[in-house]
Amino acid sequence: MGEAYQFPLRVVDGLRLERPIRDALLPGRSLCDDGGRPRRLPRYFYEIPTWDDAVRVQLAPNFGLWEFIQTDVRESVALRGFPRYVPCAITMLGLCLEQFRLTVGTFVHIAANGGYRSPRHALSCNASPHCWGTAVNIYRIGDVLLDDREAIERFAAIARSILPGAWTRPWGIEHNQTDDHLHIDFGYVVSVPHDAPADPPGATSSVGDP
Amino acid sequence: MAAPPVRRDSALPHLEALEALRLRLERLESESGARALALAVYDTKTRLTFRHHADRWFHAASTIKVAILLGVYAAIHREWLLPHSRLHVRNRFRSAVDGRPFRVLADRDANSEVHAAIGKMMRISDLAHHMIATSSNLATNLLLDLVGLDTVQQSLDELGLVGIDVRRGVEDERAFEHGINNRVTADGLAGLLRLIAEERAFTPELSRQMLDVLHAQEFKEGIPARLPRAVRVAHKTGDISTIAHDAGVVYPPAREPYVLAVLTEWSAESSGGGRSATIAEASHAVFELLASDAARSGDG
Repeated sequence: MGEAYQFPLRVVDGLRLERPIRDALLPGRSLCDDGGRPRRLPRYFYEIPTWDDAVRVQLAPNFGLWEFIQTDVRESVALRGFPRYVPCAITMLGLCLEQFRLTVGTFVHIAANGGYRSPRHALSCNASPHCWGTAVNIYRIGDVLLDDREAIERFAAIARSILPGAWTRPWGIEHNQTDDHLHIDFGYVVSVPHDAPADPPGATSSVGDP
Repeated sequence: MAAPPVRRDSALPHLEALEALRLRLERLESESGARALALAVYDTKTRLTFRHHADRWFHAASTIKVAILLGVYAAIHREWLLPHSRLHVRNRFRSAVDGRPFRVLADRDANSEVHAAIGKMMRISDLAHHMIATSSNLATNLLLDLVGLDTVQQSLDELGLVGIDVRRGVEDERAFEHGINNRVTADGLAGLLRLIAEERAFTPELSRQMLDVLHAQEFKEGIPARLPRAVRVAHKTGDISTIAHDAGVVYPPAREPYVLAVLTEWSAESSGGGRSATIAEASHAVFELLASDAARSGDG
């Protein structure tokens, strides 16, 4: 029997990252959701050293890590280069999407800004699950552009039926609705892998510079 | 000792020639069936200005994209953006009337490349190219959405430009129905293009980059149509149901450039070919006045 597979990315404690990165990721800090309830942001992240690594690392047979980190000029400047950081829950998102992809039987395209984006991204609003690495915006499935009610609701129903706990944004043009993509998320899931660094004795959430 | 002869191409045109141009334009306006024709010229060589109804306001149509290009470069100048920064291509914008969403219909847009990138990202420089060269409405709204109306208008104000009123993106039908439109005068467009041509828009390097974008224009039925092939034109056209404009910087060979804005308004029944021919005729008349000698010598 060969060696056990090890996920190739290092887990880092967001509280120990350099100040500009920390200020963009806000590890362990709270954001309020639309209902005013505080939600604690992830503290542990996978470190992606280079774009080549993002392309090389598969989260699932049909999903590369790179598909979840495509953010545009609206992302914080500190997070536009490498190394990049993604919450550890991104691996579970990849697996869920794989299940969805197997069910729909064709390519699932994640939109730019539609995977992980930081709390400092200009499009991040309140406690968006995108900041937890647990949400995706899908703009196309196979040859179907998800830009009308029928397509969005059809695939949203499939996602909810096969992914327990998944939430899909309803069709519409108001806040928290969607009319040009399918949004699927799993809420405020935080993942702490076994190889996450241990808290130093007496550590608090304010480790590092004040 | 007699004074040396003054070279014809270095002198201001005679008043008689200017008057002849004015009469020619009036005749063109009348014979073409245009509701209105306005024109503004600035010659960087002689510093001549020539104005014909140049302060009349028109619906801007796609000539407003030159102002939006300025706004994009203002953001680059302020280091908010880099030309190679990437932007999510998303076809969803908010109306200037009520904030309700609208889309740019692909079959009403001259450019399909930007539509094909929906969901993906494109570089700011590529979007700027498509906004000008093929007049992509989707690229225009994406860039305006990114930099903001305020940035565009503030840039115009800071550079002392009047005669350009930027109020919304393109294809915003609800805004059109409510009379919220982008407007320009021939003076306004000529002033903006003069600033770019003289490399005074932010920095010489950024001005040259904007000129490169304008040189990529693919619609050549207006200002360039009746000029010698050796003449290069950096310009932007604008056409909607009752409007046909073209404004640009004309570079005759072996001569300093001149700036020309030709703005026209028509009945909705008029033909597109007649509109373009009218702009081309006005452009040719200005060329004959300012640069025909230089072009002939440079054609060889």
